[in-house]
Amino acid sequence: MPIRERQQKRTSRKVSTSLKRKPSGKRKSSPTKIGPAPFETEFVGRVGKLRLTYAKRDHRTIISHAYFTTPWKLLPPIYLDDTGAAYTLLVNPSGGLVGGDHLSIDMTVGQDAHVLISAPSANRVYRTEGTASEQHVNITVGPGAVLEWFPEHTIPFAGSRFRQTLQATLAPGATLLLWDAVASGRIARGERWAFTDLENDIRITTASGSTLLERYVLDPSTDLGRVGLAEEWNYVASLYVVNDATSTEVWTKLESTIATILDTRPGEVLGGVSAGPVPGLAVKILARTAPDLNAILDALWAAAREGLRNLPPVSLRKY
Amino acid sequence: MNTSALLEGLRFVDAFFPSGGYAFSSGLEAAVQGGAVKTSDQLAGYIEDLLRGGMSRREALATKRANRAGATGNISMALAIDQTLEATKLSRASRLASRQMGRQVIRVAADQIRGKPVLAAYCDEVETARAPGHLAITFGLSLGAAGWSQEDTAAAFLYQTAVGFVSAAMRLSPLGQHEGQRILGEWLPLIERISRDVDSDTAMSSWSPIQDIYAMRHGSLEWRLFRS
Repeated sequence: MPIRERQQKRTSRKVSTSLKRKPSGKRKSSPTKIGPAPFETEFVGRVGKLRLTYAKRDHRTIISHAYFTTPWKLLPPIYLDDTGAAYTLLVNPSGGLVGGDHLSIDMTVGQDAHVLISAPSANRVYRTEGTASEQHVNITVGPGAVLEWFPEHTIPFAGSRFRQTLQATLAPGATLLLWDAVASGRIARGERWAFTDLENDIRITTASGSTLLERYVLDPSTDLGRVGLAEEWNYVASLYVVNDATSTEVWTKLESTIATILDTRPGEVLGGVSAGPVPGLAVKILARTAPDLNAILDALWAAAREGLRNLPPVSLRKY
Repeated sequence: MNTSALLEGLRFVDAFFPSGGYAFSSGLEAAVQGGAVKTSDQLAGYIEDLLRGGMSRREALATKRANRAGATGNISMALAIDQTLEATKLSRASRLASRQMGRQVIRVAADQIRGKPVLAAYCDEVETARAPGHLAITFGLSLGAAGWSQEDTAAAFLYQTAVGFVSAAMRLSPLGQHEGQRILGEWLPLIERISRDVDSDTAMSSWSPIQDIYAMRHGSLEWRLFRS
């Protein structure tokens, strides 16, 4: 058996229910009781897989199946309000990604389920002189389901190499609110746009086959891979709001609301909104500080929830 | 390239070609109104940044691959890159502008470049909405069919785009013709490098967040001279 595969098996956790607490007598035996194996420290936590399946049960969304390997950890979903939406934090307690790390997330949101995703802290990518750090996300949103994907931003340290891919596939009537943000670096210590290279690939495919693709490759040491004029900003972010069953009137009104929000911090935030190549809106944002970025994010998220679902804003209780 | 091929392709590069490009500024109007482009030096930097980060690995790459599709008669290759380009264009105004100009190119090419059935077939794909028909694709397809090389086709596309920006800037600001020519001349080495260095077999990518945002903001300007 290959070393990595063996390591994954040893550190995996599998959860077949909604993560509700059970009487201790019914618990499955702990995977840590598996017999000892050679300890290859260089692979511990390097290839982490997180697989989550959500389902609607009665009036609540639950995790119907979960599987994860180190460094991913999984906490039971939190219910922030009476909508039954399951709020899950993507927890990677290792502190960040080092070169050679290969994290993946496979997520399925079942029919009519409602899921909120965030993370407890920024996604730090450390300096490497070797291979890149990778994170690959594959999401399927079922008919009538809602996924609100709002992770914290990525901080690429000086000398880091990061590859992210995110593929979201939407069934008819599915709703996706997807946020992705990248910082220029550790700004407080004057480290800006100093990573070695960074690739980000976000694809959203709807039931009709229409696709939205945001893909950028920054390798500042090359002629065509420079950061360029964007260097004067510290954060770049995208928000995609997608649903193929929403009327043009609703999108037009939401677009106008978002355009107004984007102009609330002139000089500190530069943003634009437009109807994208998939049914919905695409928003691009540049911000100078994290408070500016987060304030705009909160306002945009609240507007999208209200405009599309007539829902109030949520408080993620992270700070 | 022989003279016949040169002349066949030049028509599509010429500002005289009725693509309707004069009606679009690709967000430059919003950038001027927003204060990001006030001087000719800022204009030069803004467009150079767009050509390098935003268009090199996207439009230039797409043009080169479409050129190959035109030269070899490979419709499915053109269709695939056309659909990928559509997916990357987040601004509605820019998307529609590129499609409108692209449709004019393929209509003329299908009608007038003889012995290249790929052009008529692709025109049919565009007219029946099976293909988006973006300018970079139909331009590349047409010049590939006309016998131009990938590199020359990409250079011609970027040159045509650059001329369009200078033309738009002359209507949006006090930029004179001589100054416009000076700026255009400054971009030529970059256009040459992009056309030569972009690998058409790599995945498409684009990085021009500032220009992308201004392209999105164009729709909400209070007064507009251009349609994008």
